[in-house]
Amino acid sequence: MQTSKIFESSTHQWYVIGRDPDKPDSIIDTNQYIVVTKNNSLLMDPGGIELFSAMLATVIKLIPIEKLTHIFASHQDPDIISSLGLWDQALPDATLHSPWIWEGFIRHFGMENITYDPIPDQGSELRLDHVNLQFFPAHYLHSSGNFNVYDAEAKILMSGDIGAALETNDAPMFVDNFDEHIPKMKMFHQRWMPSNEAKNDWVNRARALDIEMMCPQHGRIFKGDNVKRFLDWFEALPVGILQNS
Amino acid sequence: MSEHNYNFFVIAAVIAAKLDKATKIARRLSLTASNARAIALRAGEGAAGFRPLTDYIDRLANVTVSSSLAINSLAANLSKTAANKFRADGAIYRFKDVYKKAQQYPNISSLNKSYARTQEIQISLLDSYKRQLRQLTMELDTLEDELRTAVILATLSRVEASQAGALYEEALNNVADNVESAASLIKSHIRDSKQLVSSLRQE
Repeated sequence: MQTSKIFESSTHQWYVIGRDPDKPDSIIDTNQYIVVTKNNSLLMDPGGIELFSAMLATVIKLIPIEKLTHIFASHQDPDIISSLGLWDQALPDATLHSPWIWEGFIRHFGMENITYDPIPDQGSELRLDHVNLQFFPAHYLHSSGNFNVYDAEAKILMSGDIGAALETNDAPMFVDNFDEHIPKMKMFHQRWMPSNEAKNDWVNRARALDIEMMCPQHGRIFKGDNVKRFLDWFEALPVGILQNS
Repeated sequence: MSEHNYNFFVIAAVIAAKLDKATKIARRLSLTASNARAIALRAGEGAAGFRPLTDYIDRLANVTVSSSLAINSLAANLSKTAANKFRADGAIYRFKDVYKKAQQYPNISSLNKSYARTQEIQISLLDSYKRQLRQLTMELDTLEDELRTAVILATLSRVEASQAGALYEEALNNVADNVESAASLIKSHIRDSKQLVSSLRQE
């Protein structure tokens, strides 16, 4: 799998992992993100069962397994966390941070060892060594219980399905031309996101954050001015629309 | 139970379903026993020989119900153990894949503890699976033995029915038929279950 370091400071690093060449064509490509601090790490949206061994091999490339102490699942979908039953065997002492409303559902993926830390609707914070990460509410975008992860120091927002695009496995990791990228995102947002009210509320709150990189779970990362372009485009986009399905 | 043939937890669930059917049939047998007792009472002296038989039918029904329930629960637990083993096998299979993919990385040895722990779980689940399978076989054999008495009960019931007089003979013969057909149906579920158990043993 492709692994790129997208941020580095004296306290921590952010990596994006994705574009799995061994992934079957019929399953959607996903981006995984990991924040590595001195003694801990947070793996975000670790993906499905199909991806597990490639992901674990990539994680081990970066850190010893015992350093992977936290997992984050933005919501309950299988491409986000259906590998949980396998991570449960690999990381019995880890903590899973996920929306409180999905606990009883996510446990169906198999969780006997990992601790479930339910995130309240208003969000919460996670401190990894000297790094503060914020679980930023993004409910109904698309899941009814849904969070992003914001790192104020790195100015990175891991935005889950917000900003996601459906494209080929060999697509670049960053958005280069925003206008050309729009057709790859439009249907995804209109069909999967059900609420204009929730969308606009999120846009207003996201505008108050200082974001240098917006990192979705599918497609490409938005950097610099493309973040603002995305927020403007998303604000103007009517969602909850059944078309091109 | 091999790592690559995962039909076993489905087979165990099929056995549980078969025993569930056997339980329902045995419950009907219990109703037959109550019905037989009522007919024997109405028939009076003519059916005096039938009355003790109803106690045996009742006992057979009770033994079959409790035994079927126990086997059903054993098979359901066996299916659960097999499904858990499937998960542990899946993790081991993927860990091996990671060892291949990441053999050159310095952190690869950090996986050893998780691998060893999962292997321990896998071995313990295999032991439980074998133990539960042996217990299931024993219980099926015991129930099959119990059901042999059903044939004798049906034969004796027919003999006694012929003494009960024309008015009650047909009703009591029906009781005998019910006992025979219930026992035969349960036996056929047990036979099927035993065949399935034997296929699990070959895994």
